[in-house]
Amino acid sequence: MALPSVTHDPGVSAGRRPKPWVLLACALGGIVAAVLSILMALKNEAVHGELGHPLVVVILVNTITVSYILCGTVAWWRRPSSHFGPLMIAAGGVNFLATLSWATNDLLYTVGQALDLLAPVVFLHAFLAFPTGRLRPRSVRALVAVAYVAAVGLEVVRMALGGFGPHNLLEVTNRPEAGAVVAQVQYLVVGACCLVGVGVLAARRRREGPPLHTSLTLLVDAFALGLVMIAVLFVSQALEGPALQQIRWAAFVTLALAPVAFLAGLLRDRLARTAIAELFVELRKDPAPADLRDALARALHDPSLTLAHWLPEFGCYADDEGMRVDLPAEDAPREATVIRDHHGDRVAALIHDPGLAEEPELLAGVTAAAAIALENSRLQSELRARLQDLRGSRARVFEAGTRERQRLERNLHDGAQQRLIALSLELGVLEAELDSPDASRSIDHARGEIATSLEELREIARGLHPAVVTAHGLEVALEQLAARAPVPVQLTVTMEGRLPDPLEVAAFYLVSECLANVGRYASASTATVDVSTAGGGVSVEVIDDGVGGADPERGTGLRGLADRVEALDGRLRIWSPVGGGTRVRAEMPCAR
Amino acid sequence: MRAVIAEDSVLLRDGLTRLLGDNGIEVVGSCETAEALLANVRELSPDVAIVDVRLPPTHNDEGLRAALEIRAHEPSTAVLVLSQYVEVGLAMKLLADSADGAGYLLKDRIGDVRDFIAAVRRVADGGSAIDPLIVSTLLSKRRSVDPLESLTPREREVLELMAEGRSNQGIAEKLVITVRAVEKYVSSIFGKLDLPSSGTDSRRVLAVLLYLRA
Repeated sequence: MALPSVTHDPGVSAGRRPKPWVLLACALGGIVAAVLSILMALKNEAVHGELGHPLVVVILVNTITVSYILCGTVAWWRRPSSHFGPLMIAAGGVNFLATLSWATNDLLYTVGQALDLLAPVVFLHAFLAFPTGRLRPRSVRALVAVAYVAAVGLEVVRMALGGFGPHNLLEVTNRPEAGAVVAQVQYLVVGACCLVGVGVLAARRRREGPPLHTSLTLLVDAFALGLVMIAVLFVSQALEGPALQQIRWAAFVTLALAPVAFLAGLLRDRLARTAIAELFVELRKDPAPADLRDALARALHDPSLTLAHWLPEFGCYADDEGMRVDLPAEDAPREATVIRDHHGDRVAALIHDPGLAEEPELLAGVTAAAAIALENSRLQSELRARLQDLRGSRARVFEAGTRERQRLERNLHDGAQQRLIALSLELGVLEAELDSPDASRSIDHARGEIATSLEELREIARGLHPAVVTAHGLEVALEQLAARAPVPVQLTVTMEGRLPDPLEVAAFYLVSECLANVGRYASASTATVDVSTAGGGVSVEVIDDGVGGADPERGTGLRGLADRVEALDGRLRIWSPVGGGTRVRAEMPCAR
Repeated sequence: MRAVIAEDSVLLRDGLTRLLGDNGIEVVGSCETAEALLANVRELSPDVAIVDVRLPPTHNDEGLRAALEIRAHEPSTAVLVLSQYVEVGLAMKLLADSADGAGYLLKDRIGDVRDFIAAVRRVADGGSAIDPLIVSTLLSKRRSVDPLESLTPREREVLELMAEGRSNQGIAEKLVITVRAVEKYVSSIFGKLDLPSSGTDSRRVLAVLLYLRA
């Protein structure tokens, strides 16, 4: 199982956010460095001679320093998880160190001169490491390494060969001709590295398709242009081409503008927030949409987005269709962002365009929205499953109870009741045989007792289970109920054949209880009972013209009826306005 | 007089056989199931079949269905249905369009030997026997407009006995009055309830039951 190579986890990166004083120190440091650098240049007469138009160059170089340090500080603050910000600060810092060569102090001069060509290579490094701040793949790392060696290593060699004037502490011998050759090699190598860097940027764009946003396109173009300008400058220097001064100025301006393009990209965060707001509005309409992936893809402006759900029982990710999804490996042109729930357990992953790493706010917001939506849909399905369980167990409990009552009724019928009848029969036979008025009186009395017992047992049996309903159907049983009702009952039964026993029994108890209530509370003069089969189920309606005001929450009668109906997945409704009669309606579906 | 019995309780089946035998009704066949009952009836053509409404295998309505089958296809055999519960709906189902040779009694009635034997004979002779509980249920049924209220208590008693299937003679004996007095009550009742007077006792039963049921 490939673990996510890069995890843009908003929760984690927030912890690495640099301290405000560090950022402030960086920004102030950059400005102070630029001021020092300008002061050094103004103090040093030699600088004039070397650069021709010293003020322009000094200002341009220090603009680069300030531009990179300030933009790097902002980048570090806004993208603490990326190394790109610190890398830009470093580039600005190195650019400042190179200006130490304007110093009149020997040590400072030597350090500055040794690092003279380092700054362009750090720019190369930063541009190629965009947006994560890491160099990938290995060949790019090698390219940058070669450039570093050429920039610093060959510079030291060149300085050892002399020709740099009195402040050079590294001078070993004085052979400026050899130094010039080394310089040529050095310029060509660094220039070539920059051109290869441009090729890398172009190849990346070809492979990943155009960046998602035009501001990103501009940014990468600015980087590429910067590298081209460095290359042109160095090659011109190596070959001593024409208009060197103008090329130098153009290169410096281009390099100074690249971070500004980066800042412009940061402004897109506002747009990101709009996209997140739209996503939340969409999720509010349907908190667990079936096409969550599409909604997220719209919010991220990444049509190629894959939403992979984590399957803990299989230990892998899968898409909506259940197909296994592996997160992209280290060098893949895709990136994964893992979505975690509030316990920190992963629930899904977004596999997206790596360019989105440049918009962590958008990614973090969309990830949070996705986490909420996924959690929501998980809770919903959990709730549904529990409800189903509950419904099932209630129906089972209810059925078990019904079966048990039916069994007791049957036992009563086949046992005690039959025996008592047989006993009564024996007594009758005995009476005839004895033919004695005294015995006859006693036997009559005993038979009366038996009759009373039988009547009581019948009541108990009826209470346990309405055997008539099971044996002869609802219609027959309802006629008896209507005949014995406390008020005249208009009974209408519209049924096609028999319904499942639980439905008929429930309907019977419903009518029985309602009619009993009519007698007990309603003070009604008439009632109507309407029972009809509807779509395989049954609907039962009992209406009286009594005083109304029946409250299902008071007393167990109506509540018990509701339980019975709901156990069969049915619905019981009661209308009972005070003074307006009572209407009870139950609808029970057949499919169980 | 010959009878067959369908009853799944051995205790009751034996008791009934003895009871009927002691009272001059020969039990020519006794069985447990509806199927056996129908075979017995077809084979033996008894005067009356005494049937428990709840018979194996399901103990639901096998007995009643067998009784209806006999009523429909074996007109020479009268049917007396016994049950541990009496239901107006079942009585009406059993009688359908004629009360001739049909009876429906609570099983408890067996204990009152004299009345029970009289009911068996009455049904076997083509008359009817309807359980008093059914009649009283129908009589007590609430009505918005109730012509029964115009009956005198004596007339109510006569109506009740009439609905049970008793003859004028039987009613006279039960109430210890003369048959002529019964006839007077009967015509008064029919007049008050606006019922057309009908011929046989059993036709009278159906008319009264249908009237009460409405």
